[in-house]
Amino acid sequence: MVAVELSHITKTFGKTTAAKDVSFQVRQGELFFLLGPSGCGKTTILRIIAGFYKPDEGKVFFDGREMNSVPTHKRNVGMVFQNYALWPHMTVYDNIVYGLKVRHEPASECVRKAKEVLRVMRMEELALRYPNQLSGGQQQRVALARALVIEPNVLLLDEPLSNLDAKLRLEMRGEIKRIQRELRITSIYVTHDQEEALSMADRMAIMNFGRIEQIGSPMELYNNPGNKFVAGFVGETNFISGVIEDCALPDGHCLVRLSPKLKIRAKKEKSLGEGQHVVCSIRPEMIQIHDRAPVEKSNTFGARILSLEYYGTVEHYSLEVENGFVVKATRYSPRLHERKPGDLIYFSFHPEDVKLFPE
Amino acid sequence: MLRIRLGQEIDKGSFLIFLLIMAFLSAFLIYPIIYVFVNSFFIGGNISLYYFESMIQDPLYRESIVNSLTIGLTATVLTSLISIPLAFLMVRYDFPLKRLVQGLLLVPLVMPPFVGAIGMVQLFARYGAVNILLMNLKLISRPIDWFGGGFWGVVLLEALHLYPYLYLNVAAALSNIDPTLEEQAECLGSSGFRLFRTITFPLVLPGYFAGAIIVFIWSFTDLGTPLIFNYRKVVPVTIFSMVRDIWQNPMGYAFTVMTLFISVASIVIARRYIGSKTYEMMSRGHFTPRISRLRRWKIVLAYIFLGTLILAALTPQISVVLISFAEQWFFSPLPQSWTTRFYETVATHPLTVGSIRNSLFYSLSSTAIDIVLGLVIAYLLARKRVPGKDVLDSTVMLPLALPGIVLAFGYVTGFSGTILDPFIDPTVLLIVSYAVRRLPYSVRAAYAGFQQTSVSLEEASLSVGASPIRTIIKITFPLILANVIAGGIMSFSAGMMEVSDSLILAMKDQFFPITKTIYELDLRLGDGPYVASALGIVGTIIVSACILVANRLLGRSMGELFRA
Repeated sequence: MVAVELSHITKTFGKTTAAKDVSFQVRQGELFFLLGPSGCGKTTILRIIAGFYKPDEGKVFFDGREMNSVPTHKRNVGMVFQNYALWPHMTVYDNIVYGLKVRHEPASECVRKAKEVLRVMRMEELALRYPNQLSGGQQQRVALARALVIEPNVLLLDEPLSNLDAKLRLEMRGEIKRIQRELRITSIYVTHDQEEALSMADRMAIMNFGRIEQIGSPMELYNNPGNKFVAGFVGETNFISGVIEDCALPDGHCLVRLSPKLKIRAKKEKSLGEGQHVVCSIRPEMIQIHDRAPVEKSNTFGARILSLEYYGTVEHYSLEVENGFVVKATRYSPRLHERKPGDLIYFSFHPEDVKLFPE
Repeated sequence: MLRIRLGQEIDKGSFLIFLLIMAFLSAFLIYPIIYVFVNSFFIGGNISLYYFESMIQDPLYRESIVNSLTIGLTATVLTSLISIPLAFLMVRYDFPLKRLVQGLLLVPLVMPPFVGAIGMVQLFARYGAVNILLMNLKLISRPIDWFGGGFWGVVLLEALHLYPYLYLNVAAALSNIDPTLEEQAECLGSSGFRLFRTITFPLVLPGYFAGAIIVFIWSFTDLGTPLIFNYRKVVPVTIFSMVRDIWQNPMGYAFTVMTLFISVASIVIARRYIGSKTYEMMSRGHFTPRISRLRRWKIVLAYIFLGTLILAALTPQISVVLISFAEQWFFSPLPQSWTTRFYETVATHPLTVGSIRNSLFYSLSSTAIDIVLGLVIAYLLARKRVPGKDVLDSTVMLPLALPGIVLAFGYVTGFSGTILDPFIDPTVLLIVSYAVRRLPYSVRAAYAGFQQTSVSLEEASLSVGASPIRTIIKITFPLILANVIAGGIMSFSAGMMEVSDSLILAMKDQFFPITKTIYELDLRLGDGPYVASALGIVGTIIVSACILVANRLLGRSMGELFRA
């Protein structure tokens, strides 16, 4: 188990820049996520760590040791591919002991370790099957077992759950997390599924267009997105454009004009001054809905319900404030009510829940 | 519902068509084989293994069987030694001029090996160009027997002609390997030859066997090449010379049955092996294969390998071209003077002109049969529920395991004395034999087309009121046209240069196709080999032109056509 460090990694393929000046550190035993939309370069970073690509610039360190010139097969990394990459001509058992045999472990050790990992994965009875006789979830476990059995320095997971159905995915999330905790193995996990990242990661890096946008714990990233992209990519949000009118309201907030008639109070952002064009981000779940006008008048607006989707535990509103100006709102554990599309209601939000980003 | 409607409306019709096709296949595929079988096991009405016993006991017969098997195995080994590294090099590495090399590697496909053999004999015969050159240079005092009495000549020619088939199969298997399978092994610490031995090669094996079996059967049953080398103690030549006096000496039946048995047995064994080892790649969608650039000294090594191979593979062809333009090439390293006289002969002599006309007619007719039968059979197999469909399927695929020489022998013996008697007029039998041999390919091509064309496209046409027949003609056929044309052109070019059926079935000058004329001319003293070479070049040009047209028309690579 090692600490992994990437320092100023840049990689281009022809004219496309897959990674641009990427730096981050993964601590020993940490489960670190790379999250981003498809094509953002996260898989490229993973493959650079594995040694499949050589970076054009920058360095990879395992425990402070530079790895750039170390070929993949000497890096001792365990990798789980999106398609599992199980060798179809070998049984589950042969797949798993392959790495041990390459390391010239004695036969008795191979058997012992394979049995142990099969036991941890709860699939002892499948040892002699071929990959095409396994279900997707079982294949996934074999791929994981094969990567873990060599006791790798670092475990790399490339969208390992994307080929599973929704229910199995939830189950495997818990499973991977459990095994990672148990073995305290440094892991780097690539995904475009923000729920997966939020629910599993110790820390995560958000990537876009080959760059790292922000690094932090899931809670930090969700509550304090550093820029507009992160705010929009991690979780749902409403983006509303406006201009800062006043930066020095007595209550410490600032006033943003959205339209000639609409103004909202927002959390003050030191770097942004009066006259600055901004984007306001308001999470849907931070919006309260009232049937009658509330006493508190600031950040309260009348609106018409455009649509309403009821899911039991949660309820999604689409609200039209004035012509073409639409806000999404989410309410959890909705109580019995009689609102329906077309009704006029009021909604409000706290100024602290309005994040401002430069336009 | 609509699907059932389409089915019901012409089910009676399709059953009738099914019966007609089965009748055709029974007459021209099943009957000749059964005829040969019966005659090899019956003597005067009693079942007997006498012919098979004497086949094994007679030292001459035994020798020819051993020779043929050895040729088949040696050619397969040699071809494998060429093709496996070649495929690995071509699929996994990038180097300058790769596209040109790819094209040159497939050139041997367009000329039948027995035409190339004429060129090889000119170069490497006892008093051929190479020995003369070496003796002129005082490097040797006595001529060297390059062909090892003909055996190595045949093996070499077969290998140089057949390596593209194996190479294409291995290359296809290799580029079909999901790169993550190898990357995973690298992660686990494997690399180099170990990685190749444990992961790559096992995954390529099924493709390798599929190609190797073609090489083995082809070189085991090829008639033309040993004939040109005058290496007569092999099974195909033995059968060839037994055809004419089959009524005095029925040994030919036993030899033919034995050839069929070996060919079918090796296919069954290979299929069983391939079937148990074929892996569906589990990855989804496209992947980029692992391609690296060759550098420095490795590129030199690659060029030496490729250069030697291409030069060797093109030597027969180049030599045939030289002969065709040589005024005289006798006891000299190179022709003394040049002429186009033999091409004029080809264009004017009744025998050569007639043979070109014959070959065009035979091939066009057989292609027409293949296209029609291929479409109809593929349609029945892909879209219909006809009782006995499985029988049709396996019967149609039978010619894949049927060496040309077996079918031709069955035709000559089974149809002599009937209205189709090849001793009188072999036209129908030649056309049918070409067609039957290529039928599996055209059925497969059309079948693939039907499978790629969703039934819902037909159903959409039915739902707006088009009749089933109109739907087939207006919707289905246009959609699979590309596949059918490719299949047709390949049938045509195969017919133009077909060897075994042509040599055996055509017995009178006026019915000779190109290949038989080349063979007969090569036997004649004087300018025979020169005219034969010129005719061989003309045939090769026609075939190449066909393939280029098919290429352009479909935008497919030549390699894909030959794997179809």
